[in-house]
Amino acid sequence: MQKFRCRALFCARGTLIKYLMMTKLAILFIVAFSTQTFAKSYGQDKNISLQLENVQLKKVFKAIENQGFFRFVYKDDALPHEQLVSISVKNASLDDVLKKILAGTPLTYHKLSDNLIAITHMPAQNRADDAPADKAPPITGKITNTKGEPLPGVTIQEKGTNNVTSTRDDGTFSIVVTSPNATLVFTYVGYQQQQIQIKDQSTINITLTPETSDLNEAVVIGYQTVRKKDLTGATGVVNMANAGKITGGTVGETLQGLVPGVTVRNQGNPGIQPTVEIRGVASFTASDPLYVVDGMLADDNPILNPNDVASVQILKDASAAAIYGSRAGNGVIIITTKHGTTGAPKISVSAKYGIQTLPKKWNVMNAADYLKTDQTEYANSGVTLPTGVQAQITNPTINTNWQDAITRTGNDQDYNVTLSGGGSGTTYFISGNYYNDQGVLIGNQYHRPSLRVNTETHKGRLTFGENVLLNTSQNYYPGGRINAFYEAPSMLPIIAVKGPQYTTIPSDPAGWGFGTNDVPTFANNYVAVANLDKIYATDSRIIGNAYAEFKFTPWLSYRFNTGAEVSFYYNKEVRDTGIWRYENQPPATSVTETRETYTNFLMEHTLNVNKTFGLHNLSAVFGFARTIDKTDFTTASATGLVTAGGTLYTTLSTAQGVPSVSGGTSVNWRQHGYLGRINYGFNDKYLLTLTGRIDEDSRFGPDKRTGYFPSAAAAWRISKELWFNVPWIDDLKIRGSYGQLGISSSLDALSSFPYLAVLNNAPRAVYGVNQTPVVGQYQAALNNPDVHWETRTEGNIGFDANILHNRVTIAADLYRSRSTGVLVQLPQPMYLGVVQQAGQYTVVNAATIENKGIELSVTYHSKEQPFKWDLEGNLTTIDNKVISVGSQGTDAQGNKVNYLQPTDFIRAEVGHSIGAWYMIKTAGIFKSQSEINSYVNKSGQMIQPNAKPGDVKYVDQNGDGQINDNDRQFVGTPWPTLQTGLQFNASYHNFTLNIQLVGIFGYKVYDDVRRVLDSYQLTNFRKDLDPWSTGNPNGKDPRLAVDQPSDPTVSINNMAQTSRWLENASYVRVRNLELGYNLPHNTWSKAGISNARVYISGQNLLTLTGYKGLDPDLVGNGILQRGFDVGNWPPSRVLSGGIQFDF
Amino acid sequence: MKKTLYYIFALFALASCKKDFQLQDNMAITTQSFWKTAADANEGVNSIYSTYHRDALARNHYFMTILRSDEGYSTSPNTDIINTFDVFNITDYTDYLNTGVYQDDYIGINRCNQVLANVPNITMDATLKNQYLGEAYFNRGFFYYDLATLYGNVAIMLHPPTPTDYPATSPQDSVYDQAIADFTKATTLLPNSYNAANLGRATTGAAYAMLGKAYMQTHQYAQAQQAFAWLVTGPGASLYKLVPNYRSNFIETSENNSESVWEWQNALNPADSHDDDTQLSGESQLNYGTSIPPFFAPAPIGFTDGQARRWPVWEFLQETTTTGDRDPRLAATFLYDSTDVRGPDYTMAYGRTWTSLGLATDPSVAHGNTTEVCFRKELDDSTMTGEVFHSGNNYRYIRYADVLLLYAEALNAQGQTAAAYPYVDMVRERAGLAPLSTVKPGLNQSDFLNQLKHERITELTGEGHRWEDLARWGDLSTNLSYRDPSFAHFKTGRDEFMPIPQYDLDANPNLKQNPGY
Repeated sequence: MQKFRCRALFCARGTLIKYLMMTKLAILFIVAFSTQTFAKSYGQDKNISLQLENVQLKKVFKAIENQGFFRFVYKDDALPHEQLVSISVKNASLDDVLKKILAGTPLTYHKLSDNLIAITHMPAQNRADDAPADKAPPITGKITNTKGEPLPGVTIQEKGTNNVTSTRDDGTFSIVVTSPNATLVFTYVGYQQQQIQIKDQSTINITLTPETSDLNEAVVIGYQTVRKKDLTGATGVVNMANAGKITGGTVGETLQGLVPGVTVRNQGNPGIQPTVEIRGVASFTASDPLYVVDGMLADDNPILNPNDVASVQILKDASAAAIYGSRAGNGVIIITTKHGTTGAPKISVSAKYGIQTLPKKWNVMNAADYLKTDQTEYANSGVTLPTGVQAQITNPTINTNWQDAITRTGNDQDYNVTLSGGGSGTTYFISGNYYNDQGVLIGNQYHRPSLRVNTETHKGRLTFGENVLLNTSQNYYPGGRINAFYEAPSMLPIIAVKGPQYTTIPSDPAGWGFGTNDVPTFANNYVAVANLDKIYATDSRIIGNAYAEFKFTPWLSYRFNTGAEVSFYYNKEVRDTGIWRYENQPPATSVTETRETYTNFLMEHTLNVNKTFGLHNLSAVFGFARTIDKTDFTTASATGLVTAGGTLYTTLSTAQGVPSVSGGTSVNWRQHGYLGRINYGFNDKYLLTLTGRIDEDSRFGPDKRTGYFPSAAAAWRISKELWFNVPWIDDLKIRGSYGQLGISSSLDALSSFPYLAVLNNAPRAVYGVNQTPVVGQYQAALNNPDVHWETRTEGNIGFDANILHNRVTIAADLYRSRSTGVLVQLPQPMYLGVVQQAGQYTVVNAATIENKGIELSVTYHSKEQPFKWDLEGNLTTIDNKVISVGSQGTDAQGNKVNYLQPTDFIRAEVGHSIGAWYMIKTAGIFKSQSEINSYVNKSGQMIQPNAKPGDVKYVDQNGDGQINDNDRQFVGTPWPTLQTGLQFNASYHNFTLNIQLVGIFGYKVYDDVRRVLDSYQLTNFRKDLDPWSTGNPNGKDPRLAVDQPSDPTVSINNMAQTSRWLENASYVRVRNLELGYNLPHNTWSKAGISNARVYISGQNLLTLTGYKGLDPDLVGNGILQRGFDVGNWPPSRVLSGGIQFDF
Repeated sequence: MKKTLYYIFALFALASCKKDFQLQDNMAITTQSFWKTAADANEGVNSIYSTYHRDALARNHYFMTILRSDEGYSTSPNTDIINTFDVFNITDYTDYLNTGVYQDDYIGINRCNQVLANVPNITMDATLKNQYLGEAYFNRGFFYYDLATLYGNVAIMLHPPTPTDYPATSPQDSVYDQAIADFTKATTLLPNSYNAANLGRATTGAAYAMLGKAYMQTHQYAQAQQAFAWLVTGPGASLYKLVPNYRSNFIETSENNSESVWEWQNALNPADSHDDDTQLSGESQLNYGTSIPPFFAPAPIGFTDGQARRWPVWEFLQETTTTGDRDPRLAATFLYDSTDVRGPDYTMAYGRTWTSLGLATDPSVAHGNTTEVCFRKELDDSTMTGEVFHSGNNYRYIRYADVLLLYAEALNAQGQTAAAYPYVDMVRERAGLAPLSTVKPGLNQSDFLNQLKHERITELTGEGHRWEDLARWGDLSTNLSYRDPSFAHFKTGRDEFMPIPQYDLDANPNLKQNPGY
């Protein structure tokens, strides 16, 4: 590297300021705020002093920029990098300096404004040596920007030659080309390159469109917008081009694989929200991020039409998220919806239709195979077959494929019409949408019509506007809380879905088929569930905010924002006569209606400061936010539905049985937040952000209401330093941040006032002759008066780089966060006699969880025409570790209990991740008696003396010669060690291609559905079952046998707490593949269509995985049991086609 | 401009009014606002009785006391039921089947402790206050008695729970001692009887009977005799008498009769859908009854998850009544192919014949020898044509007949065998049998005990006391396997008790697992 040679005065000042920046920030602020005069006097003198020797032109521009007031724009490739210049001036004018340094280069300059200078190529005709030999007539034309304004200084080059010119001040140009087939390349700083083939044209007028230089992209960071280049915190900006390709009902599911640090787990249920986690799980209770939609805060994934979304930003570290204080600990997803732009009204219409299928079903036996296997099983055990099974052997009449019976080809439909435009100070965006998701499971359907109106008006110093979403969703699904993905594979194929032979079963008038004494199984008939218990839920919402912003001065404005989310939720469940499972409790027919009103009001006052003086750039926001969150509900139900004339009457008033009613306020809390952020930048080189929020929350006891959430971040744009001289690095910024956030969404799982000792009035006693129930009351759950926020403290370092002429963008982050005061349930042993249930959890702030990881994203843009492509790749590692679980008592051996254990094979233990697998390890199948006999511990004791050949062999971890819970050990984690995403976008002429890959590696899933199937008891069997038998000594599965008192090892083979059910779930998935075609412009222009596009796409087309269950991308059973496949509804495979027109 | 800023900040100050945070008032009742009136005390006590309808006490408790003993067994397709309640093969110490009763007992204890901690501070009528406190003592005593019987060595909690309670294991005798202390206290506070509206609440007689039972289980026969004496010869004797019709003790239409000493009150909620009496917003669908009938009823009426062994049937056939008829208690105790002495074509269950229910076995098997024997006492076959999931039929936990037999046993144990005869005779005579003093006069102490064992089988089979009896007599062992093959799996030193839930052991190092587990 070249030695630092600068000795100019400004360097000394730069160093001084840098020193101040690094050490005495406070002093600097005082200086910056109080010494306007300093800035002014400095600013009035725009003359330049420079002393540079043999440096690249770029450095000279940088040096001039560093003196303030002047900015240069230029195309990096246009500068002669090999040409070094020297200059020594004092108090020279800009013109003098530029003339000096540009002399001898093919460059000239244009003053675009007082302080913005464009460096361009000289027009060709001024350069005799470049004049072409063949004097063909010149090609002329005019180049304008999208607003119709002429662009001076655009470089025009004949492709493949040195024939170059540039446009004049009025945007016109003239060039003599060497060949009539020549292609002209139009290049202009900040605009997209265009290539035009001449094809006998003599006049070419073109419009250049601005290049989306991502460094200047506006990023919403909460109460403020900054340029991407000024970011100091870890903020993920979602590439909407990729997100928009995903067929889905929610914004969350479109994000999978797109942003490092963001984990999305999907489900296939219509109308369901995916699980989104940012930078790991920092709480045992809640991991949902905060969603901010156009400034409205919501803890849940909002019901939002993904087509309306203009941008999504993800605030990942403490600095980025701190402005949201107590609610930001799980990260913040900021969603901004589309707005109109000034211009003629634009209408867009799009339609998309997709076919949904279940990508995989369990391969289970048909009736014949089942009977054969069952017969073998009973024969092996010397037990008589149940009579009903025997009857099917003698006279096989039934062969039901239960998975086919409950599934169907579903579909997705998505229709949008938008109208946008604006003029004379007002812009508008109106969008109507209808979305329909008919799931692959019978009885499930989701509809969502919605309407959005966003407008904004500027009048003088005042700006006001509103964003309003009206929508109503309707969701149909079966009740009964029956999971079809468990039931269908385990249900016996020798039971018919329905049949007259079953009508004799008590409480089964319709004749639904399910287990009986004779054909024993406890599996549920999901077809019956779908018919007998129907839920209809509708959620009508108005989400909107209105704001007014007043500019006191160009740099100071006040904004008032008020918003409301009002939801009217209605749920109706109709339970018809009949049961769907052996030994079901036959219920009374009933109708239950629940109405819920949710209101969330927000009021915010903010003051915004935005001021540049000299090289200093200061922006700040201070404000107050008040939230009121309340849910009122009424539930009424009545039994005894009446059927008249063949019609079932399902209203509360037609029911003739026992009515009941309840209601109340289930949620009610207030929050006050005092927020502030100061961004200070010096010369784009040194950036500093200080953020803080003080929150008060009514959900805590009077002493615990207030929380403080401070953070600081700094960034250093090294590439701006004069001594930085790496030609292939265009921009390099390193960042660091540290701060504290709160997690309060965990409270949603609790109650509005978890600190109070609330009475429970559910108990009922019956006395006396009449035995009428009378109310009992007592405190059912323990309360904790000291409960408060969970706190997440996070440090982050990272860098952003643009390299190779901005073709490659890299962002990398390294973070470590620690949540303290994590809410944890104290062990509440049964002898306390307390209960834990919704609204009555008893928690203490006692645990600590750490997350650390690396995030990397790399984007490559190829700007060559006509084959344009870009490739984005990202990777995420999250290392989740429990540091403390609070005081959980001591175990039988007297050791301190350092774990939480939601079930006896899953632990959140200190030093391990949450939900780690803690199991008895299996070691295959005993092939022979001699193998059993020789399976001894050190002292020669037989470890599984009762085992029979064909039984599962377990690892005696502690060597005590027996297999029990003391042999459990950690055998894996449910959290991926590596998550990757890869997106490829390409266009060739009118064709576009989008490919999205997701790769998730290094985690294990507990396949509970297989556990049920492979238990051999009361269930169907896997088709590929390979049970050990004397004739099949190498069988992979245990021997087939009936669990009975005389054969106790059968149930030992089926123990749940063993690694027999654990599987490697790593997968690579083609998340999306889309092929589009932009119909040629002239085909449609007569119909007033400016743009038309058709496309076909396939979602979840291919998944490469070793996981045996239906799908490795699963939500699991809550945070503590993330890897527990409890019959997860897999995301569908969707084949779609769509069209889009712009008018 | 300064003024504008001033106003803006003034607005901030207004908005942040602290009143915002005082909104919990009148949204939920808290312990601070409760426990002020007699009505509050009553509701606290009501919550205690509600415990008996919780899932485990209203179902698994029967499995545990009836099926585990030698009189019952299970052929349930749910092998967990067989393993847990029949063949002593419990592998998972957190499974609800074996922890549910333990948990429900402690939920009851918590409810009692809250009453005992708060009601004394309420200003109210002293008699009523005593009654409420007495009820809390009585029920707490029962829950400890139940824990001692089924789980043996458990923790003792005598105050409302706090998160830092880590009690040590108390050995079974101490747990019985606690029950004894509570029952003793209850005898001093409870009324002898209630008006019609309050039938089913604990009485002095119930407290003395339970006190006697607790003394019996700890082999303190003199104290037991003294406790029972309150009902048999003391002030309570006038309150209780055996009803003429034995069967009427088990039928919903004749609840709370003169033989009833303590009766769990069950009612059917036609809208019921759950058993969790702490589930808010589901109160109207709460069960207030027992769910044992569908689980014990013969197929296809019920699921037949629990059945009776054949041998108790034979016990009834050892003796006829003075008129030469079969012991009437047999038909009241079992539903089987010869509940009617004439056989399956005449045996009526749920308004249909045994034959038409499809339960008559193939003709080669002689009547009375089929394995299909159902416990009848909890069933609703005489009042209904089928079973629904729950039943409102009360569970007569202590009948006067039981008290009389235990009183006789206490006397015999103290060597007063002759004095014990009349009380056994009272029970036999109601059944129509000849007095023991006539049939087997002058039995020695040990033969009399053996006779009592027979008497208790014929009088009390299927009522949930067999396990206590076997434990008290020291008869729990593999020796019982000749009549109940399940006992071949019985492991002495382990299976006397259920395992302590692993969850509690993990949470509290001061607790010990029962031996052998």
